[in-house]
Amino acid sequence: MKPEFFTLLRSPAIWLVLAFAATMPLWLPPYYLGIGVLTLIYIAMALSWNIVGGLGGQISLAHSLFLGVGAVFTSALLLKFGINMWVGMLISAALAAIMGVGIAWVDFRFKLGHLSFALITLAFAEIGELVVLGWDFLGGASGLYLPSDKGDLLAFQFGGAKGYFWLALVIAAGCFLVNFAIINSPLGYYLRAIRDNENAAQAVGVALLRNKAIAMAISAALTAIIGTAYARYVAFVDPYLFASPAVVIEVVLIATIGGLGTPFGPMVAALLLVPFGELIRGNFGGVAPGLHYLVYGVLIVVVILSMPRGLVPRIMDVMARRRAS
Amino acid sequence: MPVEHSQPILSVKGVSKRFGGLMAVSEVGFDVAKGEILAIIGPNGAGKTTLFGLISGFIRPDMGSVRLKGHEIVGMAPHKIVRMGLTRSFQIVQVFADMTVLEAVTAAALVRKPMREAVRKAEEVLERIGLSAIRNESPASLSLQDKKMLEVAKCVATDPELILLDEVMAGLTLAEAELPLAIIRDLRDSGITFVMVEHVMPIVMKTADRLLVLNFGQKIADAPPAEILSNQAVRDAYFGEEMPHA
Repeated sequence: MKPEFFTLLRSPAIWLVLAFAATMPLWLPPYYLGIGVLTLIYIAMALSWNIVGGLGGQISLAHSLFLGVGAVFTSALLLKFGINMWVGMLISAALAAIMGVGIAWVDFRFKLGHLSFALITLAFAEIGELVVLGWDFLGGASGLYLPSDKGDLLAFQFGGAKGYFWLALVIAAGCFLVNFAIINSPLGYYLRAIRDNENAAQAVGVALLRNKAIAMAISAALTAIIGTAYARYVAFVDPYLFASPAVVIEVVLIATIGGLGTPFGPMVAALLLVPFGELIRGNFGGVAPGLHYLVYGVLIVVVILSMPRGLVPRIMDVMARRRAS
Repeated sequence: MPVEHSQPILSVKGVSKRFGGLMAVSEVGFDVAKGEILAIIGPNGAGKTTLFGLISGFIRPDMGSVRLKGHEIVGMAPHKIVRMGLTRSFQIVQVFADMTVLEAVTAAALVRKPMREAVRKAEEVLERIGLSAIRNESPASLSLQDKKMLEVAKCVATDPELILLDEVMAGLTLAEAELPLAIIRDLRDSGITFVMVEHVMPIVMKTADRLLVLNFGQKIADAPPAEILSNQAVRDAYFGEEMPHA
């Protein structure tokens, strides 16, 4: 591990931001607290996707499978077999990791290019949605209703928006730390080398399959954990939310607008766009449903044309230039 | 440096590769002794780069054997071959565009060393190759000469025993080639063996201990530079009527 990782851990700024965020449930009105929970969940999703999409350069649309496993499968285990959601979450994280390794193997075995990888993973995601919609065990098209939340932590119940805000904050902070740890470790170097040039990476001893599989497994397991937390928060496991590629496409757009490769890009973009999208939806949802998607669409066009590496790398470049001059 | 005549570090035997109707490499065989600089020459399309791909594991031969330090490496993944001590550069420079020069060389050093030691190793290699001043630059912004030296630096950072260099001096003037040549000789003196594909004949003649000539995928000569100059088959295939000036 590079010393930069430990420097971050010792940075008072990070702990101050976390401490400030942790106080938010104490003073935010309920409506905004709900937006806060959703924002943290999207930050976590964008960060866990960034391990594969940003660091590894592989535009995976299969992450809805992992989100679905965490949300739908864990809920089904609870409702059909009475398996505690903590245990179910771990089972789902392991299952998602195995599925991620399988996808990495398909990519390696068939030498998929970037476009083929995106299309194949989209196909996996669509198949996953069809399986959920057609299988009663997973709730089918009508979804699954989780038991009411009584605040029993041992049963993975966090007792309302405050509790879920803190849970989502811990998960988002964990995803950030995992990203930062990977960037400062050999795996981060290997993934960036693979992303930039697979042949050159192999020529300096980087194992393609092993590193892609590790990245996919970590990313998939984190996404499944987020899926369980998100499902328990909304209490209704809607297959059109948790098993549909739509959420992941939204996450990909957010991460791309923010800038891939560092943890800050996806995090800052989610921090700005999710509350913005929710406020648009809250205020204009009745007259213009889906307006926030239009906003994302316009933003991604603007960002790609004006700052192809994304918002945060662009801001960092400008700051570096100012420091130099 | 005297060439050792014990077991060859690399032994290629009867290697062939066909792409559709084209026999790119046909039953090529040769040995490379430890500490030697072997240059592979031949007209465009002679199969030189394909041969590098076959040796380094990027292309699987249809038949034949490649042994590194006595171990068969046909069918092994390229990264495993690197771990055994053989690395390569590419004819078309393959940079890690989103890394700095130091990060790119660190990625290579990680093959054998943990994180902090790899960074130190990368810094040492950049110093040795003369790229320290541009360690924080993006490889994409470098001059052609620096990009080629970065390729060499990445190879060296993996602690190899044998480096395959694919036209690292192509596009450089003779004056510009002096620096890479000096570095290659220095590395050879420290025990690294080189097999290089090169087109610039004065450089080849000055540097190589031995020349292997390919034409239409076949080996037509394998001898010291002075003998190659007088080889009629080579003159016909490669030089035409014009003799190179060594």
